[in-house]
Amino acid sequence: MADNNTPTKIKSADEIKVKRKPSDIIFTIVFTIICAFWVYPLIMVLINSFKEKLSISRDPFNLPDEKSFVGLENFDRAVNSQMDFFSALVNSLIITVLSVALILLCTSMCAYFVIRVNTWYTKLFYYLCLFSMIVPFQMIMFPLSKVTDILQLNTPFLIPIVYLGFGAGTALFMFTNFLKSVPLEIEEAAMIDGCGPIKTFFSVVLPIMKPTIISVGILETMWIWNDYLLPYLVLRIRFYKTVPIVIQYFQGGYGKVEWGAIMASMVITITPIVILYLCLQKHIVKGVLNGAVKG
Amino acid sequence: MEKVMKKNPLYFCLFLLPTLLAFLIGFVIPFGMGIYMSFFKFNTIDNMEWVGLDNFVQIFTGDEKEVGIVANSFWFTALFAILSTIAINVIAFMVAVLLTRNFGGTNLFRTIFFMPNLLGGVLLGTIWKILLNGVLVGMKQTLTTNGTNGFIGLLILMIWQQVGYMMIIYVAGLQGVSDDLKEAARIDGANNKQILFKITIPLVMPSISMCTFLTITNGFKLFDQNLTLTGGGINHNSEMLALNIYNTFYSRVGWKGIGQAKAVLFFLLVGAIAIIQLKFTQSKEAN
Amino acid sequence: MANWKDYCADLSDAAITKELTSQDFALKDSEGKVRGVAYVIETYGIITNKALIEKAGHSMDEIKDFESLKAVADDIHARAAELGFDAFTSAGMDSSSDWRFKTHLANLPIYYEYKADNIGTTEAIKGSFLDGYRKIWDLYITDSATEPALLSSKTGSDAEQEFVDGQAVFFQNGTWEYDAVKAIGDENLAWTPIYIDADGEENQGVCTGTENYLCVNGNAADEDVKATLDFLEWVVTSEEGTDALANKMNFVSPFKKAKEASNTLVKLANEMVAAGKTPVSWNFPTMPSEQWKNDVGSALTAYAANPSDDTWEAVRVAFVDGWAKEYAANK
Repeated sequence: MADNNTPTKIKSADEIKVKRKPSDIIFTIVFTIICAFWVYPLIMVLINSFKEKLSISRDPFNLPDEKSFVGLENFDRAVNSQMDFFSALVNSLIITVLSVALILLCTSMCAYFVIRVNTWYTKLFYYLCLFSMIVPFQMIMFPLSKVTDILQLNTPFLIPIVYLGFGAGTALFMFTNFLKSVPLEIEEAAMIDGCGPIKTFFSVVLPIMKPTIISVGILETMWIWNDYLLPYLVLRIRFYKTVPIVIQYFQGGYGKVEWGAIMASMVITITPIVILYLCLQKHIVKGVLNGAVKG
Repeated sequence: MEKVMKKNPLYFCLFLLPTLLAFLIGFVIPFGMGIYMSFFKFNTIDNMEWVGLDNFVQIFTGDEKEVGIVANSFWFTALFAILSTIAINVIAFMVAVLLTRNFGGTNLFRTIFFMPNLLGGVLLGTIWKILLNGVLVGMKQTLTTNGTNGFIGLLILMIWQQVGYMMIIYVAGLQGVSDDLKEAARIDGANNKQILFKITIPLVMPSISMCTFLTITNGFKLFDQNLTLTGGGINHNSEMLALNIYNTFYSRVGWKGIGQAKAVLFFLLVGAIAIIQLKFTQSKEAN
Repeated sequence: MANWKDYCADLSDAAITKELTSQDFALKDSEGKVRGVAYVIETYGIITNKALIEKAGHSMDEIKDFESLKAVADDIHARAAELGFDAFTSAGMDSSSDWRFKTHLANLPIYYEYKADNIGTTEAIKGSFLDGYRKIWDLYITDSATEPALLSSKTGSDAEQEFVDGQAVFFQNGTWEYDAVKAIGDENLAWTPIYIDADGEENQGVCTGTENYLCVNGNAADEDVKATLDFLEWVVTSEEGTDALANKMNFVSPFKKAKEASNTLVKLANEMVAAGKTPVSWNFPTMPSEQWKNDVGSALTAYAANPSDDTWEAVRVAFVDGWAKEYAANK
């Protein structure tokens, strides 16, 4: 299913050397206007984060005026309220970093084993993993929350195991796909030099896999960082919340809706994501193209 | 290499076992339990009563109102999946075609179009709830007033989120179409429209089927956005299947068995769509 | 309750049950066994901004029953532009906030029906006081600055802000809101009972009760159950425990040794009882299920968007037919 015809790199306009026509300025103008609308919702969040909560829900499109401007009060409320947005941010970071690291390490090794050891159980495992990719989360959510509860996997430090299990399919699929194209000769050379499988994997195979590792890493990060339902059902929710959970909680988890705190916490969440995106854009685009198979 | 790794169980334990164990915990066991539980009536797992296929029967022939809600959410979801697939792909393809032309700012525009993708469903839903309710005030309505408002709201939200993602895939596909081929066709007297439909579209068919697959499954499985944007609406008027299952589980006492049975059917539905789509794609690509 | 009573230990002989100020605060099952013990007593009604009432040229003494409440509210609503404030805060029906009406307001027709029929619970509600429910709901949604059709996206926080900002006089909520509403000044706070035009409501007070009970897992090991009960006894009798309940959690708890909490809304509610007003009991535990509340809430929201006899009929169906159906379903 991986589409080998699709280039995994997008050429930037500068790389394509065609002379620009003067009429193209019209396209530039039209797209500038469309893009202004496209980013507007994010700008709106930023503007509203400085407004008093009633004026957020009443007139979301207005700029703050003397009466509705509250300075940094919303940010203060987001961080210092009973919801404790800051520790949610920390939880989200811990969960995302640990899970992605665990997934990358375990599934890349696993993919190597599956590709090199061709026997009934690796095949069965591989197909089961592929199968897991089409199963919607609702199918397993209730039993999963019971299993993780019994096994005490309900903390930010242990939930990565759950992510490894439920996210194995995509990662394994992308890694095996890549490894299929890696010739055996390279490894055999290492073997002749006296390397065992472990050393061969880490010193020879892993470096070759680097581009795929980055792609998988980016896809898994985007998934886990934004995931709502799995951590909501698995974590001990009274003690550990993640960013999406807190933002949802601010909207009525305790019978109230804190629009000011919601706007402020969204600004705090979105800003680093956008900065990171602008820095890592090339890798992210590549990750999307490599991983367009996840369903 | 194969012999060494196969012979010594150490390598099995090191390479395969961690993922295998996690996979058992995170998928295989819950999946098996899920199937098993769909034949029971229960509220907590230590108090289950075997009811055979009754849960499944209840979904279709049980309480009239409940059956109506499920039917409504099925059609809502199906219609949404189809319409969002068409809208997102048509828009993304058009944007991609335009942004592969060479005019100033295309890189920046691609960057901006892709941006909403980085935000999760909860943030997206929250942002659009404020925004769309702000617009609807003018019509004295809200997102939950009726199913249509919820439907259109979700459609706008998903277009905003996914157009950039699909556009990236289309841009890559379009750049794979060689300019020489288009030039040759032009010399043979083909116009722009003919080049688009006779050359470009057939050649990017793999990208099209991939994007269609992604959008249609996303449409069927949509949950976070539905939960935050409308919460299902008044009287379940904008409750999609995934949310309906969630609500059956967690806001009703004694309905968990029926919820699990619904989840099994939902899995079969999504699985069937994925398989049909895969077969379709494979046959197209074989040609 | 029928759903979960089998999971709870019988607390009839537990020390904590004996510490209750009134055995009404013990939750008994159909066989009379105590399955839960209330730990916090709360009051709700219409929190009123007395200063604004006076500013509008009225006084709290005028409000004695539904008719007089309506007269005052209608007058304020009619002069809202001139006064700069309206009668009722927005009755937000966002799913975060609709409990104020689908549960708390719905308690009143249930209370009066139980009282009229002299029962404490029923599996088949008749809805004999639903007309009153409609009257008070009409009043809430009409005499307010917010367009009724927009209520589905309004929240309790919006209403709270309107009240604190002095944009509205009446705010249906409870003692737990004290921290937010004290901003208008303790001396300006007053209670208005929720009148639904029922006979004898001149003597009606605010609604006091509980829906939060402590239960002990009956399936746990005996020594764990005993340890839990010992701990609970310590909480409600020791200096440290009672102090935590009253001052850290701001609970008014129904135990003999409980300390008094510093909450003006609670004090005002106690004064009403002392003045001879009958507190309205909380009958939420007798509501058949969460589903019933949600259905009533949805119907109320739909009615607000388009008030007519037809849409009210949907409320009645959800209330009366839904009650019987949910009771039957949860048996």
